[in-house]
Amino acid sequence: MTSAEPSVPPLVALDDVRITYEGAGAPTPDGITLDVHPGEVVLVLGPSGCGKSTLTLALNGLVPHDVPARIEGTVRVAGLDTSERPVGVLSSHVAMVFQDPDAQVVTGRVLDEVAFGPENQLVPAGEVLARAERALKLVGLWERRDDDPDRLSGGGRQRLAIACALAMASPVLVLDEPTANLDPAGIDEVYAVLRELAAERDHAIVLVEHNLDAAVDLVDRVVVLDRAGRLVADGPADELLRSRADELAELGVWLPVSTLAAMRLRDAGVVLDPLPLTPAELAAALDARAELPPPAEEHDRAPAPAPASATTPAVRVRGLSVRRGGRRGPVVVHDVDLDVPPGDFLAIVGANGAGKTSLLQAIAGVLPAPTGTVDVLGLDPARADARERSRRIGFVFQNPEHQFLAASVAEELDVGLRGHSLTAAERHEVVERMLRRFGLDALRAQHPFLLSGGQKRRLSVGTALVAGAPVLALDEPTFGQDRERAAELLDMLRSVNDEGTTVIVVTHDLQLVADHATRTAVMADGRLLGVGPTAEVLAGPLIDQAGLRHPPLARATRGLARHPAWHGVTRLAQLPRGRADA
Amino acid sequence: MSAGAPRPGFLARLNPLAKIAGPLPAMAAVIFTRDLFVPSALLLASLVLILVGARLRAWVVLALIVGTPVVIALLALSFGVWTDPARIDPDAPGATVVLAEVGDWRFTGAAFLIGLAAALRIVAVVMLSLIAGLSTTGPELVRALVQNLRVPYRIGYTALAALRFVPRFGHELEVIRAAHRVRGVEHGRGPIAWVRRTLGLAIPLLASAIRHAERVALAMDARAFGAHPTRTERIISRWRVADAVFVVLCWAGLVAVLLAG
Repeated sequence: MTSAEPSVPPLVALDDVRITYEGAGAPTPDGITLDVHPGEVVLVLGPSGCGKSTLTLALNGLVPHDVPARIEGTVRVAGLDTSERPVGVLSSHVAMVFQDPDAQVVTGRVLDEVAFGPENQLVPAGEVLARAERALKLVGLWERRDDDPDRLSGGGRQRLAIACALAMASPVLVLDEPTANLDPAGIDEVYAVLRELAAERDHAIVLVEHNLDAAVDLVDRVVVLDRAGRLVADGPADELLRSRADELAELGVWLPVSTLAAMRLRDAGVVLDPLPLTPAELAAALDARAELPPPAEEHDRAPAPAPASATTPAVRVRGLSVRRGGRRGPVVVHDVDLDVPPGDFLAIVGANGAGKTSLLQAIAGVLPAPTGTVDVLGLDPARADARERSRRIGFVFQNPEHQFLAASVAEELDVGLRGHSLTAAERHEVVERMLRRFGLDALRAQHPFLLSGGQKRRLSVGTALVAGAPVLALDEPTFGQDRERAAELLDMLRSVNDEGTTVIVVTHDLQLVADHATRTAVMADGRLLGVGPTAEVLAGPLIDQAGLRHPPLARATRGLARHPAWHGVTRLAQLPRGRADA
Repeated sequence: MSAGAPRPGFLARLNPLAKIAGPLPAMAAVIFTRDLFVPSALLLASLVLILVGARLRAWVVLALIVGTPVVIALLALSFGVWTDPARIDPDAPGATVVLAEVGDWRFTGAAFLIGLAAALRIVAVVMLSLIAGLSTTGPELVRALVQNLRVPYRIGYTALAALRFVPRFGHELEVIRAAHRVRGVEHGRGPIAWVRRTLGLAIPLLASAIRHAERVALAMDARAFGAHPTRTERIISRWRVADAVFVVLCWAGLVAVLLAG
């Protein structure tokens, strides 16, 4: 099944593995048989909830030793049955990198952090230092060995986690969504390191990743699980992704944007064979054709908001500067002017520390803004009381749990209506409407903390809108979520926006911006570089000026030599459409 | 725990256990004394020891020199005011000296002296604990506990990892507060509202704390934490002659002070 020599024994061998969590009905993953050989880079794909993460935890014995779950079948690591060996022993064969860089730091110094694992393995002190130095140099953190890990960026901390795993001197490296909590710069840093590791072939790498655009060019082999956690495909990455793209898309697996674009073009009669996997391949395939149909007119979108002069903007910002942490704090937003017309879907983008979250918080009155600089539907949010404000603008924090106050879903919605001079019957009616609107009807008595991630997110949007706010502000709503949940959320925002709500969202995911936002504002160093229709902004120079990377589709189209008309194509919806959905 | 790299100064070079064992009997003695001399002498001695033996940042030195008398004065006044006049021996020194008078309540010199004694004892205990506190880092203490006192390393290093949670929770609490403010909910005033508000903050904080702790525990286990009965120590925490001498000198100093008092 794999390209490895049959004579080399596998590093990891899974035989018909089924894992059932305590209290779960059916096992996920369900019946996985799979070998990992030296030097291989294996990408594990599958829709949300198929048990990919659980599978990675089984590779070094955390399942079943640390996590309460029942495991059937056998997992062998270097020939050892994981159910019979403690995690400590298995960890010298399989090293792990987890999703959250903050939750992997144990010590207060970069060098001590890398030494922690080998020290636990009773490696002699001299060898510990030698390993730590090698690992830190490989990830580019040797110069920062005396720093507190907290002072590294997100990408830096995740590179540190990789160094810690390397210092274990294990032949297998398992990474579970290592870039899900990172901004684009951090993702690039981590993949630069992984690319180097993959090229060295010293380690077998098992990678779970939703961001295929980043991962696709370094993996050899793809393993696909379906929704029920069963193995549906296992083979060479290129061949499998190209030949079975439709099947994978059907399963709910997120494909590279370039592949999705090619599939859409195929429906429109532009067949690119083989299917491209990267922006470069897509660009080459498009340029190889003498002619392309013109990009699609976008008539399915909400009508563009009327010119600002004709209507009063929903949000009006003039000369806004914001300091963090009181009067002496650093200025994080400089002199920003911004109008958001009613019904707009505005994305605020920028690199880390560009001031986008501070701007959003000042607009929503979370951070105090100087008098007269912010106006939300005739109200100065910093000076209004919370009830008054909640009728104009709702704010959704990154972690929905932070905002929950009540013991049940229905009560959670009701809390937002208190003090709004409504009768009990009126309140009941509003709560019922919101429960139905956000698909939480059956969960009304559930405790908010016991909802699934997607349900929590829906409830948090519901609570922000329950008091009738026509403006909704969201801070990094897709951070730390997989693509499926992110897409679900964006679809919901799209429909809320179609119903007339003005949506302002801060994000670093430019492809999501490209596919959903009507207008985009770009920030750098606390200043607003510019704002305009999304397609224009993404095709223009602002993205580069802000130190951001163009989203994958834009990277493919902006350099096309033979098709200048396509330079502005940044979102899938702009591609020519097939007859079926025209 | 002082942050950053170990600073020079002879206190920093001592074993953390010596810096605890030396002042410990003095702390016990201070708690059981009633006079002014013993706590004053020990307070001064430890202040001098800290200023000479630990290389401190300028603002810490300033806080110690200026802050100590201010805190003593404030504590002495408040304890003195709270002292029950009926329980003051009428023959005690200062019993007839009236410092302030409101109606038939009198703040006498004797009451102030009782307050001063209590204040000196509290500040002396704090100062004695600062001998170790201002010259030792958390990792140093854990190394000494594990290597010299044979505390299981699983406990020591887990405690060290847990210390890192504290600033994280502080930040998280701020975010939760802001999030609750945005919801436009006020529980009202008074103690019941305070309890409800605090509970409302505690639940999300606890939920995220437990999740974070689970993740950190998985990450530690995945790096072989607890795999063997011992672990490699790159830095050896030694009990030297100097440490024994320090402890003996501390104890001898205490005996001298007690005899003189």
